[in-house]
Amino acid sequence: MIKTLDLRKSFGKLPVLNGITNEFAKGEVSVIIGPSGSGKSTFLRCLNLLEAPTSGTVIFEGVDITKAGHDLDLHRRKMGMVFQLFNLFPHMTVLENVTLAPRKLRGLSVEESKDAAMVLLRRVGLEEKAAAYPSQLSGGQKQRIAIVRALAMQPDVMLFDEPTSALDPEMVGEVLDVMKNLAAEGMTMIVVTHEMRFAREVGTRVLFMDEGLIAEEGPPGKLFGSPENPRTREFLRKVL
Amino acid sequence: MNFSFLTKYWQFYLIGAKNTILLAVLAVAFGTTIGITLALMKLSKRAPLRFVATAYIEFIRGTPLLVQLFIIYYGLQAIGIRFPDSPWISAAIGMNFSDFMSGVITLGINSGAYVGEIFRAGIQAVDKGQMEAARSLGMPHGMAMREIIIPQAIRNILPALGNEFIVVIKESSIVSIIGIADLMYKADTIRGNTFQPFEPLLVAALIYFLMTFPLSKLLAHVERRMRAGD
Repeated sequence: MIKTLDLRKSFGKLPVLNGITNEFAKGEVSVIIGPSGSGKSTFLRCLNLLEAPTSGTVIFEGVDITKAGHDLDLHRRKMGMVFQLFNLFPHMTVLENVTLAPRKLRGLSVEESKDAAMVLLRRVGLEEKAAAYPSQLSGGQKQRIAIVRALAMQPDVMLFDEPTSALDPEMVGEVLDVMKNLAAEGMTMIVVTHEMRFAREVGTRVLFMDEGLIAEEGPPGKLFGSPENPRTREFLRKVL
Repeated sequence: MNFSFLTKYWQFYLIGAKNTILLAVLAVAFGTTIGITLALMKLSKRAPLRFVATAYIEFIRGTPLLVQLFIIYYGLQAIGIRFPDSPWISAAIGMNFSDFMSGVITLGINSGAYVGEIFRAGIQAVDKGQMEAARSLGMPHGMAMREIIIPQAIRNILPALGNEFIVVIKESSIVSIIGIADLMYKADTIRGNTFQPFEPLLVAALIYFLMTFPLSKLLAHVERRMRAGD
């Protein structure tokens, strides 16, 4: 589904990604873990080119999207993204947040987009918040709406950039539950997170990043149970 | 204090106030157009555009309005540039249209520099994550600006922009120097005709205040209502 070839990114002179080659398959739930500053978020943001890589290639559904001369916006519509700080549109109601892009970009009518949005809102248990503004919601509710907003574009893959890091502890569960359900439905997901339990229970593959490279990867049982790389062992000792 | 001149001259004030409003409205419209253009140039990826906009803004803000007015009014004439005159419009507004346009354009050029900075700051104050969220949904840059960034920027901008409109109304009095029949010019005329140096100015000040005060109250009201939406 998404393939990267020798992906590199530097901010000025500071190298952040040092040539990542990897492949994310359809239906897979890939969880990216690693110490802060290891380049996890930058890597994720390079996948939909929110961050332009310095060099290297991103191939999405068979198309090299790092090459000039095609409509990146069309590809982004197939890659939903959820941010650490939610980034809901504060000047719109929940329903408007969710229906704007489907109306403008998928050509749905007001009615169609509303019906589709209500189905999704019901699934995350927030249908009664449709008329509310983001400022009236808790952090956990905001993030669930942000997930719904991305899902409303019917993406082929969902990118999660530390979706629970900005939440109060008691709200982490409700967001992770939504993500678990999504994984159970077969959604292809790439998740940057510090939630090791989520990585272990929901991930089909765990990637450990260190100093701009994927230092080790494997099924969660293997990576958490018998990590091979000393850096992985050290990291897991600290966080578990 | 003797205000008996009002019975004879009140129409002067009326015409002057009308001309001041006309001048300010046109100058603000022109200035806002320039300002939005400058703001977009300053936020552009292209360095030459940023340079031109920055140079314009710094120069206009660093020179006196009176000098700018004289440059437009006398300077351009001296090198043979004149705003087209239209007898028909001149008659309709009761002023020389060419002179009037010198005033409108000077005030617009001047105000544009300030409005440009207001717009730029307002757009930049919108959280970066908003653009990222919009782009990640697949919106093109223009649509993201229109639907997501500008509506939030307006909220940031409105108080400062309203204040700028009030400033233009007040500063427009400077065009009386080149003979545009605005409120200040009319007040001066009354002073000369009545040999009363003081009272006509008090009336003019009161009329300026009656224009700006309701406007600032209106802005405060709109601002409060927009806050309520949060």
